[in-house]
Formats: sequence, C-alpha cells, structure tokens
Amino acid sequence: MKIPDNFLYYLSLHENCNERLLARAGNLTPEVVEVCIHPEVARIKKMVYAVLGETHRMKAFVRLQPLGARVLYGFFKPRHRIGEHVCDTLARRNAGIIVVLGNGSDSWISLCREGRIWRNHSGGMAIALEKLKTAMHCSEDGPSEDRSSVEGLWQVYYDSQYCPERKNPAAFHRHMPRRDQDSAGLRLVQNKRNATLEDFLSEG
Amino acid sequence: MVTLEKIAHLAEECRFDSLGPVQSTAVVDVDTEKLRNLGEGTRHDVCASTFSPREEPLPGICHAFTQDGRCVSLFKTLYTNHCTHQCSYCTNAANCSNKSRAFSYTPEELARITLSLYRSNFIEGLFLSSGAGRDEDHVTERMVETVRLLRQKHAFSGYIHLKVLPGCSRAHIQEAIELADRVSINLEAASASHMSEICATKSYENDILQRQRYIRDILCIAKNSKAILPAGQTTQLVVGAAGESDEEIFKRVLYEYKEIGVKRAYYSAFSPQRGTPFENRKAQPLWREHRLYQMDWLFRVYHFKPGEICHAFNENGFLCNADPKMAIAREFMDKPLDPNTAAFRELLRVPGIGPKSAQKIVAFRKRQPIVAKAELAAMGIRIKRAGPFLKINGWRDTTLEMWQA
Repeated sequence: MKIPDNFLYYLSLHENCNERLLARAGNLTPEVVEVCIHPEVARIKKMVYAVLGETHRMKAFVRLQPLGARVLYGFFKPRHRIGEHVCDTLARRNAGIIVVLGNGSDSWISLCREGRIWRNHSGGMAIALEKLKTAMHCSEDGPSEDRSSVEGLWQVYYDSQYCPERKNPAAFHRHMPRRDQDSAGLRLVQNKRNATLEDFLSEG
Repeated sequence: MVTLEKIAHLAEECRFDSLGPVQSTAVVDVDTEKLRNLGEGTRHDVCASTFSPREEPLPGICHAFTQDGRCVSLFKTLYTNHCTHQCSYCTNAANCSNKSRAFSYTPEELARITLSLYRSNFIEGLFLSSGAGRDEDHVTERMVETVRLLRQKHAFSGYIHLKVLPGCSRAHIQEAIELADRVSINLEAASASHMSEICATKSYENDILQRQRYIRDILCIAKNSKAILPAGQTTQLVVGAAGESDEEIFKRVLYEYKEIGVKRAYYSAFSPQRGTPFENRKAQPLWREHRLYQMDWLFRVYHFKPGEICHAFNENGFLCNADPKMAIAREFMDKPLDPNTAAFRELLRVPGIGPKSAQKIVAFRKRQPIVAKAELAAMGIRIKRAGPFLKINGWRDTTLEMWQA
C-alpha cells in the first residue's frame, strides 16, 4: 500500500483522529509519511493504513439486498467514520439505485444519478428504510424471498470453490479477520466437504 | 444532504443508468446441483487479479476467501462440463471413470446469475471457462453470447475473464477479445512432448500456441484503441503432471513473455483426482507452486536476467524449497552493499528488499543518511534476511549463514 495524495482525508475518517492531529499532519507530504520513522509520523501512517484497510475490506464484504426495484440495503457498522465513503462507492457501482447502509443507530443513503451523488445521513436503518418505502410506495413482497435465493446461490458456489487439499485456515483468518466480518454483518460459514462413508471405505 | 423523499423521487425518475432496476422477480431458478458441479470444475483455476484499467484503476477487491486461503472475487464457473478431450488429470475428461452428470448453462441463465451476484456485492465479475462440449466453436459461441448479453443488454461493467478453448476459430477469438477484460488459453504443459503425455487429443502447436498468436496479432492490429482487452492475455500451467522440470517450465514461460506477450503466467500444482488416469501419480507439493511464482516474479517484476535466474535451479533443473533470490544473491553478490550509495537496481537484488522497500530506502536517504539497521527495520525491511548483504558505516554482520549452501 502506498500513502495516497489525499491521505489527510483518510486520516480525518479515523475514529481517534482530532483537529490537533490533523493540523500537525497538514504539514506533511505523502512521501514523508511513507518513509519517515519519527514516532508521531509513524502513528499517522498507521492510522491512515488502518482506515484504508477497513475501507478496502468493507467495499468487499458488505452484502446488499434489494427492497423493491430501486433500493439496495445492507448491514454496516464500521469502526472508523467511513460510512459515507463506502456507501458512495457502492452507489456508483449501482448507478440509479438508492444504496442504504446502516445499523441500529446510523444509516447512510446514497444515490448516483448521471454521475452526481445525492446523500442523506440519518438515524437507525430500519426507520430510514421505512421512510423510503412510503416515499416510493413500494410493496413488501419479494425482497425476503429474493435474499434467500441469491444468498443460497452464493453459498452453493462458495462451497464449490474450496479445495480440501489446500486447506490453510491461517491464511483464511488473515484475509478475513473476524472483526471486519462483524463490521459488515458477514458470517462466512463454509460447509466443509465432509468426508462421506464412501470416502472412508475407498481409502481403507 | 437532501431529504429522503427527494432521493426517492430522483431514483424513480432515472431511466438511463447502467444496470437498470433490480429484477424483483425471483432472480434465478437454478439447479443447485448444476451450480455446484460447474463451480467445482474451476476449483483449480487461478485468477488472482480483478484489476482492469477499463475505468479508473482500482486494486482488485476480494469479496471472500475460502478455507484454503484463496480469494473468491469472481464468479468462476464452467459453461459446460461436457468434454471430448482426454486430459489425464481432469475429472471432466472423456476418459474419466468418476465423471459427474453433464450440465450446461444457457447464456440467459448465466448472465442472470452473474448479475444478481454482482448486484448484491458478492462478486466483482465473471470468470468463464468450459469443457469443449461436442465442438469448441459451438461452446465458444455460447460463451461469447453470454458475455454479449451481460455487456450489451444489461450494461454490465464488471470484470470479465474468458477462457479461449483450445482449437476454436479466429473469428470467435476476435469476438471474445472485443467483449472481455482478459482472455487466456491454458498451456497446461511445458512442451509438446509433455502435452502428448497428458492429453492425446490436443495439439500443442496448433490448438494452443497458434491460438495465443492469434490473440497477440489481433491485439497488435487494435493497438491504437485502449479499450480492447485492457487486462491482456494470460496463461496457466499444471505443474508436475507430466514430470517436467522447473527449468523446462521457465523456458516455456520465457517464450510466453517474450514472443506471445502474456501479462502473466499462473501455476497450479498437480493434484491427482479420483477416476482419472493420473489418479495414482504423486501430488505435487504446494511449495513448488510458490517457488515457481517467486521465480516468475524475479523475472517479471525484479527484472533479473534469465542467465541469473538459471542459477537457482539444481543440476536436475528443479528449484529447491528455498527462496530462489537467496540462491542467486549467494552466487552474484560478492561484496556487501551500502544502502546509502547503492543504486535502486542493486538494492533490488538483496534478499528481503523488494521494489517497495528499495523505493523507501531511496526516498529516505535523500533526506538523511541511513546510520543504523534499526532504521531499516523501522521502514519495514526484513533485516534478518537482508542484513548479511548490507554494510552500514563500513561495518557489517559477519554471519556464516550467507555462505551456507
């Protein structure tokens, strides 16, 4: 990872960032942050990496489900203040669809239309979804059924990709830390290809 | 910040954005047995990158990892598992006794599955391979049709990697190139003679190399337009199925990089599958795959010369289970380097220093000289490995480790 030019933006999203730290980091260039080994600069670098890392993983781990034809929503509880940033990215990917990310106390809403982004930030996601539903007059039916069907497809496909002869749980946990799975509301279970009686007999 | 009502209104009005509304009808009604079988068919295929310069450059996003630590970022599947080839390591081959039922998607079905998984943020794109079916041109036509549906009917802008089937026609390759981000043909073997041992029904020269040259030539003609095949052509080898040495693999890969212009090669260690003619052959250790990738990196990223890399092979032409860079450094680095004066290229030759570390050292010493190894360690350089090859202030570690065989 390289420190990006707009690293101050990412630093400002860190949960422990304050105005004083931002002001001090304002004098630094990305190159200096990258190589300087002074403890304070090293701390800034670590904070920027922490935000970049969480952002990157959240863009990958958050799963969306449809509500009517024009809304996608998903559970999201990040440690850093990256709700809006991630929501914008997903809205850009699904242009013309309202993307709602949130949890019990926060929600972020973004819509990308003709290259422009419209945003809203409000309280709990359930309330925001309720409001959207009335505003769009969309009906209740469908979504829950939809979710299980797409998720079911995914689970079957995901399980099919596992090679038992390459088993490497350490790498799995390194790439998918429990903490980040929790932030995205993800519970990745892999039905390991359980050995059948037939396998046992043929081996014996 | 705008009100929810306004956002709702704006969303309802927009008709011209890329993917169109979510299809709320039960998206797909797929036979899960089919999904599982065709998914398993690509288990051993490797595709690491979803990086595509089609739009703004983004690093590959991995949406999940399996218990084996490899990422799932694409919907990686076969179009059909029906195949007439007789590859001795493959469970879909015509001569495999443990074959599953034959399945096949339809283009519409496959496009819909891909779209609904993409929409829910499970995947970044599609990786479409296939058995040869009755004839490869027919299957390729259907695969291209799938991609065309995605790109044109559904305005899908995700990543698409298409496998070109050995022996398919130039016209179909042309179509595939126009729609995909990356295409590839699997070499599988290191040479024609190894190929004949693995598979009697494919001609190495004509079915595989010639198709790679088609791709190269088509890309060469279309050089001016950047939008064509942004992620280029790649290839993949099965390592160790036919008893080939690492040196033979290296020679083949060199040819691929220089003459065919592949972006990169993938290596997949052979593992015996039940019911195939190679069932009783020994599985290749996974470290062999890892060492081959290291060798590959030394050539492609570190720009070592082939003549230098050859020193990493033993007398039988195999890499041993140790970092090839260390073996090469022992051979060629007779004096320790001073990180304050060494050029970037020289730094790259030190084991434990990669392109990023070398860049950091160069940037650091512009501001202040490096006076202690602890400074290097703080920059993230692996001192344990690099230490014996470095000298700072005229002093250096004298370890026997460097001279050990």
